[in-house]
Amino acid sequence: MKSNSEVEKLLIERIRQSDAAAWRDLIARYEGRLLAFAESRVGNRAHSEDIVQETFIGFLTSLPNYDARRSLESYLFSICAYKLTDLLRREGRRPALSLSNPKDSQDGSWEVSGGQRGASSIVRSGERKTLEKEALQEALSKQIRRWKEKGEWQKLKCAELLFVRGFGNKEVSAKLHLSEQQIANYKFDFLARMKNAIRQQDLSEEVFPELYESPS
Amino acid sequence: MDQPIQSAQLEAFLEEALPPDEMAQIEVKLRNNDVLREKLATIQSRRAAGIHTIGGIWRESRASCPSRGQLQKHLLGILGDAENDYLLFHIESVGCRICQANLEDLRQKQSEAAENSSRRQQKYFHTSAPYFDS
Repeated sequence: MKSNSEVEKLLIERIRQSDAAAWRDLIARYEGRLLAFAESRVGNRAHSEDIVQETFIGFLTSLPNYDARRSLESYLFSICAYKLTDLLRREGRRPALSLSNPKDSQDGSWEVSGGQRGASSIVRSGERKTLEKEALQEALSKQIRRWKEKGEWQKLKCAELLFVRGFGNKEVSAKLHLSEQQIANYKFDFLARMKNAIRQQDLSEEVFPELYESPS
Repeated sequence: MDQPIQSAQLEAFLEEALPPDEMAQIEVKLRNNDVLREKLATIQSRRAAGIHTIGGIWRESRASCPSRGQLQKHLLGILGDAENDYLLFHIESVGCRICQANLEDLRQKQSEAAENSSRRQQKYFHTSAPYFDS
């Protein structure tokens, strides 16, 4: 997991103490990459600059609740993605995910209702959820590090296409020039390692359904 | 996109994490496909209930993203072959938007630096020209 460097921790601390130079420094560090992120999707410079501006404002307003253990860059990108999504919703390009009935929509916007269907009612504390997430993060980082050290790049690529990109076995097989059987074996092995890590932490299997699905 | 849209893709869609062209394709499909919208709503409610996915956690922790230093080395052409091959895969095949944005930012900075350097050289040249002639 990418964590904040000492420089970034200090920067955040100075911003919390209303140090304008530190704030200017943060803007200078991140505006270019945030702008590139927004522009690749919106394709309009002025709108992209507005999104980045809203991102920085969003960062400042959420600063009291920001957990400095979380990567600053990931945090800024998540705010930027949220602002970007918001703009696309206003433009009608993206569905509004709300709990309201689509029939109630007066402005012709298209909505997807959610919240009632399929949701597991596993009630647990935020602390518990963080613990679960960190356990999987750790297992994942360890596995990726091991693949890199051993030069097993194909296994890393395979897992990334399957789980991050969401491709099916067949598509991954074609992309990596490996047989579907090899892909299935890599997938099985990877899931077994993740399952093992979850079991060792004595965490509920119910909240990681993907690990226990029947193989495809 | 003729392949059926997988749940993991929709999960990435909700996180604004797919390549821009794929994001746009899914947006178009969602407009006309009730079943797909239903699937998206189910995923949204699972996320709200705190169900974890490998892809979600992988993306959030940026578990396999190259560092900015590695991106810089890639631009300078001094990254090792295996790492460089993986970096290109991560940027192009996985289409990691955050790494793409970082790379673009570094490229811009590099070209600005080159431009500034050229401007400085021009200035040195012009200011020193009278002395050069004599």
